[in-house]
Amino acid sequence: MRKQKLVSLMLVTAMTASLAAGCGSTSGGEKSEGGGGSDEKVTLTVLAGQSTTDAGIEDMIDEALAEKYPEITLEWECVDWGNDFQPKMQQYMQSGLPDIMIGKAQDVATYAPQGVLGEIKGDYLDRGLDAARENVTFDGKTYGLVYNAMYQGVYYNKKMFKDNNWEIPKTQDDLKKIIDDCKAKKITPFGSHMVDTWSIGNVTMQFMMNDVFNKDAQWGDKFRDGQTSFSDSKEAQTAYEYNKLIFDNTFPETFSTEQTDCDAKMVQGEVAMKVSGSWSIQNFLDIDENFEFGIFPFPNQTGDSKLIFEPNITVMTSAKTEHQDAVDKVLDLLTSDKDLAVEILDYTKTASMLKDVTPTFPNPSQEDIDKYAAEGNIVDVTLGNNQLVWGGFQEENAKDIAAWLQGDESFEECLKASDDRVDASTAN
Amino acid sequence: MKKKKEKLEAEVQQYTKGSVIVQIIMTIAAALFIAPIFIIFNYSFKGKRELYLNNPLSLPEKLNFDNYIAAYKKLDLATTFTNTFIYTAISVLILAILCGTTAWAIARCRRKFFKFCYIYFIVGILIPYQALFLPIYMIGYRMHMTNTRFGIIFMYVATGISFGVFLMNSFMSTVPLELEEAARIDGCSVFRTYFSVVLPLLKPAMATLVIMQAFQIWNDYLLASLYVSKKQLKTLTVAIQSLFSAQSSDYTTAMAAIVISVLPIAILFLSLQKYFIKGMTVGAVKG
Amino acid sequence: MSRQYLALVLPGFIIFTIGLIIPLFMAVRYSFTSWDGMSPEKVFVGFQNYVELMKDSDFRDAWWFTLKFTIGNTIIQNVVALLFAIALDSGIKAQKIYRTILFVPCLISALVVGFVWLKMFSNVLPALNDFLGTNINFLLFGEKKTVLSGLLIANNWQWIGYWMLIYLAGLQSVPSDLYEAAKVDGAGAVKRFFNVTIPMLAPAITICVVGITTGSLKVYDLLVSSTKGGPGRASTSMIYQTYTTAINGRQYGYGCAMSVTLVIVLLLVALVQVKGLKSKEVQA
Repeated sequence: MRKQKLVSLMLVTAMTASLAAGCGSTSGGEKSEGGGGSDEKVTLTVLAGQSTTDAGIEDMIDEALAEKYPEITLEWECVDWGNDFQPKMQQYMQSGLPDIMIGKAQDVATYAPQGVLGEIKGDYLDRGLDAARENVTFDGKTYGLVYNAMYQGVYYNKKMFKDNNWEIPKTQDDLKKIIDDCKAKKITPFGSHMVDTWSIGNVTMQFMMNDVFNKDAQWGDKFRDGQTSFSDSKEAQTAYEYNKLIFDNTFPETFSTEQTDCDAKMVQGEVAMKVSGSWSIQNFLDIDENFEFGIFPFPNQTGDSKLIFEPNITVMTSAKTEHQDAVDKVLDLLTSDKDLAVEILDYTKTASMLKDVTPTFPNPSQEDIDKYAAEGNIVDVTLGNNQLVWGGFQEENAKDIAAWLQGDESFEECLKASDDRVDASTAN
Repeated sequence: MKKKKEKLEAEVQQYTKGSVIVQIIMTIAAALFIAPIFIIFNYSFKGKRELYLNNPLSLPEKLNFDNYIAAYKKLDLATTFTNTFIYTAISVLILAILCGTTAWAIARCRRKFFKFCYIYFIVGILIPYQALFLPIYMIGYRMHMTNTRFGIIFMYVATGISFGVFLMNSFMSTVPLELEEAARIDGCSVFRTYFSVVLPLLKPAMATLVIMQAFQIWNDYLLASLYVSKKQLKTLTVAIQSLFSAQSSDYTTAMAAIVISVLPIAILFLSLQKYFIKGMTVGAVKG
Repeated sequence: MSRQYLALVLPGFIIFTIGLIIPLFMAVRYSFTSWDGMSPEKVFVGFQNYVELMKDSDFRDAWWFTLKFTIGNTIIQNVVALLFAIALDSGIKAQKIYRTILFVPCLISALVVGFVWLKMFSNVLPALNDFLGTNINFLLFGEKKTVLSGLLIANNWQWIGYWMLIYLAGLQSVPSDLYEAAKVDGAGAVKRFFNVTIPMLAPAITICVVGITTGSLKVYDLLVSSTKGGPGRASTSMIYQTYTTAINGRQYGYGCAMSVTLVIVLLLVALVQVKGLKSKEVQA
């Protein structure tokens, strides 16, 4: 009899506990009513699509917010940008968006036309660089606040280049010479980690930017109109073929080498160059804090490549938020708190998109970046990413490129596969 | 009992050359099986720099717990561990109660509806929920169950129940009917009969169920990644996945996180092992 | 009376219906639409998604990979698990220690298993080459040709101990007088194995075969942390393909059609196996 009581007691406890837990979290998720007053407690929901290097910035923002606007609490939902941001947004499109969303600049192009994003006030935008605004502005209204950026291009071993008297290559011929010299000296020309299919997709867009979009800024739209295609466009094919150049001049086990191992090889002087982005900096410095490296844009056919930057953390707001005041306060904090900005930039090893903010972490490639920026030779990759989306298009094309490199698919099949995917190439 | 003893003696006598060879083969197999686990432990004590510069097989230079500390911070272990524990414990408890009662009712009541129920539940074993993750995710947010503790527990129960019913059902024949009838003659209600007579006899079955469901829920990735993404609701596996993915694979920390995540379930298994194996025996014999 | 029984069944029945059966019908319904998962309207397109599936080579490749993976697993896991069980049952010493060691990997999540084997193949085992001075190709995840065997190794490492335990339980419940009788009849060890052990193990074999096949058909977690479906699409399983199509590629209706094909195959496989294996049990 006592056992029976015990069990039924357990049953009741379990049910109540789960119900309470369920209800507890629902009520926690509810927004507190009437958040207009400045002293009233407000909880804002935030969906953050992050790269791994971004994870952790939410604590920094919370801390800064607690100091300046203690009445605002942020309820974070941090997901992996590549895999989970899009699905979460899809879900919220049905049930109502969170107050604040953090994604990448290309997300603005996806969601702004659906009319769900709120316009960002000029006061906050003016605190950022003008270059950052262009690709998040639609019909004269800006829907995203670009906070930082990553630079992408060819990272190279400075000391190795100096010792071998290699010049920074401007054309494919220049690059060819360096590759040949590398081979003669038993140095692997390129480091790569093709086990990560995203890295193939990433470098392909870098190639596309300089060989395709720099020549024809509307290439993606023309592709959808049927005026051009991967099978027809010599430029697009060239961009795909650079992957082969890398593959032929990298270590044979690239399809089993992860990014960290690849970066370690670079630091240890086994490899001369690596087509990559700012996310490699942290790896380089973790292994050897004195490693000297620089960056240059991957040379295109015409020798006028630009260094690529990718707006990273991009803050969007919901058009229907009930707490516009509080949302604005958060934007104010993000754009005005320079200590916070430096802390975040140092942590993520990224470049600032705010005026008068410079990160303090040691970045040997900064010199090169400044040079290209001063010459106006930088270009925002969002241009390409807006026209040819990542999820469902670039990402899938990269898989075909991998299959082609490994000889499981012909080049024609690989191009055709991209052409067949034309319907998935835009988010709308 | 006597037969068993004789068998044992016979086995002892049979310990011959053949047995020695088998023993050697099994030792090698066991060594191969445990090697990756050894690697996990080994890596979890290594520094980041050591990882690239030293041979992967070498032992760590010194026993440092930095990775464990880093894992604790990066995984927000206080939260994720508690969450995983709560989800697992409550789901398993509910499953243990529901599967037992359901299976017993199905086994004892001969009406058509109950027969149908059995087949209905079996469908869930034949179609794993993974095949239906898209609509499962959708029904979740339609009913406002995503990003709630209630929602994920509900789904763990829903997806685990068919196996549990199946397992419990195959145990019911081990419960002697006479005892139940005696209880009923004494005037016990159906509920009372179940809880005071049947349940105590189902101990090994319950242990099997608890272990099997516990380690599935504890290790689940797909459902958790679909259902809970709010920071304060995340589970261990989802948090660990973020250490593996994308641009920086921080794998010394990940290895330490793996050790931490496996420990509780390993302890549960070792402590219930005796019952578990007993439970498996009944399952394997009855089908 | 039966009302009380009903009260015992109903809670589970309802939860199960909401959590699994309704989604099953939803999958069927959405598979007839061209819904992208975002827009409010869901356009009915009839069987168009299914017609397109027939032409979709990625979908075919995903099925082909999943089937190879499943067949490989079913054979290797059953045979090796049974052999291990017999070895442990043959009266060797320290049986319990072996049992525990072989079982432990299945307590680890498949996600972690994938990650650990990624490290094994790309870092640890190649270092073994340097150590031994050999030149074995351990980079199994790096090539289309070898990625399947790599994944089979990882998956079998995880699950063999589990199925072994079931076989072991089955073996230990075979009454020893059956063996004695067979011995008296002059049956050799091999004959005894096929005429006594295997038929007596029939229920265990049913559990293992069905469990391994349905388990392998739904493989996903293992891939997320190891090959991510690559290189190229060489290790993209059905669920993985569904995930990328429906969620990353915003083709929800089309993805649902994929799910439905998987459900149908799962049901068919399970029914055929249960029927086939059960009839063998009866004969025995």
